[in-house]
Amino acid sequence: MDEVTRIQQQAQHGHAHQADTVHLPEPTAMPMVLALGISLLITGMVTHWVISLLGLIFTLRAIVGWFFDVFPHEKHIDVPVEAGILAITTTRTTRDQLPVSADHRKLLPVETFSITSGIKGGIAGGIAMIIPAAVFGLARYHSVWYAVNLLAAGGFVRWAGESNAFLAQFHLEGLLAATGIHALTSVLIGLLYGAMLPMFPRKPILTAGFVAPLLWTGILYSAIGIISPILNDRISWRWFILSQIAFGLVCGFVVNLQVRVRTPQFRALPFAVRAGIHSDNIEQIEQIEEAEKTKPVDKKDDYV
Amino acid sequence: MANANPVWEAIDETPTTRPRRLVLEVVHDWVTTVDHKKIGLMYIAYALIFLVIAGIEAMLIRIQLAVPNNHFVSPQVFNRLFTMHGTTMVFFVGMPILFGFGNYLVPLMIGARDMAFPRLNAFSFWISAFGGILLYFSYIGGSGLYGAGSAPDIGWFAYAPLTAKVFSPGHSTDYWTLAVFLSGIGSVGTALNIVTTTLCLRCKGMKLSRMPLLVWLYLVQGGLVFVAVGPLTAAQIMLLLDRYLGSHFFDTQAGGSAVLWMHFFWIFGHPEVYVLVLPAFAFVNEIVPVFSRKAIFGYPAMVAASVGIGFISLSVWAHHMFTVGLGAAGNTFFVFATMVISVPTGIKIFNWLATIWGGKIIFAVPMMFCVAFLFQFLIAGLTGIMLSAAPFDWQLSASYFVIAHFHYVLVGAILTALFGAFYYWYPKVTGRMMNETLGKWHFWLFIIGFHLTFDFMHIPGLLGMPRRIYTYEAGRGWDNLNLIVSIGGFVQAIGILIFVYNLIRSRTQGDIAGHDPWDAWTLEWAVPSPPPSYNFAVEPTVNSRRPLWDLKHPEDPDSDYE
Repeated sequence: MDEVTRIQQQAQHGHAHQADTVHLPEPTAMPMVLALGISLLITGMVTHWVISLLGLIFTLRAIVGWFFDVFPHEKHIDVPVEAGILAITTTRTTRDQLPVSADHRKLLPVETFSITSGIKGGIAGGIAMIIPAAVFGLARYHSVWYAVNLLAAGGFVRWAGESNAFLAQFHLEGLLAATGIHALTSVLIGLLYGAMLPMFPRKPILTAGFVAPLLWTGILYSAIGIISPILNDRISWRWFILSQIAFGLVCGFVVNLQVRVRTPQFRALPFAVRAGIHSDNIEQIEQIEEAEKTKPVDKKDDYV
Repeated sequence: MANANPVWEAIDETPTTRPRRLVLEVVHDWVTTVDHKKIGLMYIAYALIFLVIAGIEAMLIRIQLAVPNNHFVSPQVFNRLFTMHGTTMVFFVGMPILFGFGNYLVPLMIGARDMAFPRLNAFSFWISAFGGILLYFSYIGGSGLYGAGSAPDIGWFAYAPLTAKVFSPGHSTDYWTLAVFLSGIGSVGTALNIVTTTLCLRCKGMKLSRMPLLVWLYLVQGGLVFVAVGPLTAAQIMLLLDRYLGSHFFDTQAGGSAVLWMHFFWIFGHPEVYVLVLPAFAFVNEIVPVFSRKAIFGYPAMVAASVGIGFISLSVWAHHMFTVGLGAAGNTFFVFATMVISVPTGIKIFNWLATIWGGKIIFAVPMMFCVAFLFQFLIAGLTGIMLSAAPFDWQLSASYFVIAHFHYVLVGAILTALFGAFYYWYPKVTGRMMNETLGKWHFWLFIIGFHLTFDFMHIPGLLGMPRRIYTYEAGRGWDNLNLIVSIGGFVQAIGILIFVYNLIRSRTQGDIAGHDPWDAWTLEWAVPSPPPSYNFAVEPTVNSRRPLWDLKHPEDPDSDYE
């Protein structure tokens, strides 16, 4: 305890403290008495009013007692500190480093896209996806609303038995529900693109425009019967794949247009690369990563 | 952190013999204490007493259901038994015991001397304790001092309109309401203390990103208590108004709504599951790394998952109410919200497995319980996902399948992790080790009993056995299964009795533990066992998430990597 603190405490409490003691709050029965008082107070509701009266007396006594426990100064006790040495040691004196694959850290990108990139991509892809969906509705049912209502039908159980003609009409609730579902899904998938594309930097168009939409379609194909049986009965998978590809191409394009941000992996690069004096080409990055492999990334100690 | 830091300089570790004191002096010491450690121990002791009581109730329920057409207890007594068992386990065992561990450990782990509000801490304990006593006083005072006693018989969730005066005359329902109300006050007080202590009393260097995961989980748990307990308390006040002052909140005959009570109750009830399970996660987070001899895998993801679980758990309550007819939009939302919570939970399971993976695993008793926790919590989660699908739930809601599912969570996950925590921190609390052989007997009997009981309990549920059923006809395919379930219950009880014996015996006969018997890395192991009343002679300074690792391995401190 420094001298300034000691003087401050003396001024506050009006007496000195031992340097080898610790201040702790003084034990008090008031919390217990207050708890008992409140408990008895309400127990009177189911027993007898005298119990409540007793509880009220306890409660008031405890409030007064508690007040004087903390005002004008909080009561405390000085507990002497025990002397001695507690050694913090271990018998486990050797450490193992877990083997790390040479390719392990190469999977982590040095740069990635910001979260807003994914959102922008999702919005753009979502808009692009509307075009083939609308064309599908016009070509087959002469209405742009068919695809909208079909998407919304997952949320309206009562639409299960409705005709195609009904789904081809405009329904405000259908438009609102479909907009909500479509917007949410598009943004979430856009975020996934933002996170995923830096992991596959070599063929972004192939990844974003074709591989991801086909994978997504496969997942939905297996699950759509549970998520939306109505959609499952009436969906046209060829048109669906076309709209997914439209989403993937546009979303991937928009995401790739955005400025990249650096990940913590970037810190592993030498200052010259980070400062832009040297280009951070892939060979250099690989050299750095090779050097990084010698650093322990996960450790455990031997059980001796 | 330098070895010269004065915090690490204390204490002779040999247990000293205290001078004998009068019983009254000892009682006075405990009644007036505001020390977080003593309050934590009182929470735990009080919860253990109620655990034994609620366990006996469970055994009576299982005797009644062991064979068909049984009349071991009357239907009225049976209703009281399952009501008191559920209420006691949730409000007077689960919450207090976990608050007890939190009280004891949180200040020690963050390098603080006590809770932020020590007197409020004592008040919170005592009012919870009186709540439990009031609940059991109903057995003799349930109809008031002038009538015969009767415990509550309305189920632990007290659905309306069963709680209306016309269906629940006398005062037994009021005892339930008031007891839980008192417990709620204590819960909020303790949560306030844990949150404030965590946010305001961390030692130097302990940034939020360096806090032990146990403390993070208690922080999230405290936040959940704030949000969850309020609606229940409000609903209880509304129920009292209905019963005493003629209001009609839940009176379906007068424009009230029984479903309103369900919403209020489950807005509390589902976060409550996470209030109970988050501390179990917390224990596993501390035990698994130490017994795998590795740092926890994915600390930031674990923190994010914990916070994520906290938020998502507030939006899933109506999956308990699929059968009331929520409508397509409600069903869809709550199905998805419930399924989404499996994502952060899955992250946790993967991270625990990744922590164990490649480690030098030590299968001491705490670790054995944690491994059992991992298996059992996974199965509990999987049946939870099954029940989260509304059509599946429509078939099995209010069946023994649901009972099996939530007991898998409460016993298979929470109680199992809790036992691990007892074995892990008992040396810190008492200065002595629990007996390892008895611990293994406890483990195997408990785990075998658990699986006999709750694995087999799923099947009568799938075969249509409803929950809360008093007895059943022979020949429905439930007979042998129920007998196995009951036998398993008794096997568990034997395991728990061994645990209680071990707990008492080791207090005086256990091996001397020293301050750090597990070679662990968090701050509570840097103080003597048991810790002095002031915890730390000087405020510690930490530079990483494993301050004791840094001290033990100054050549390779964690602070170089964080």
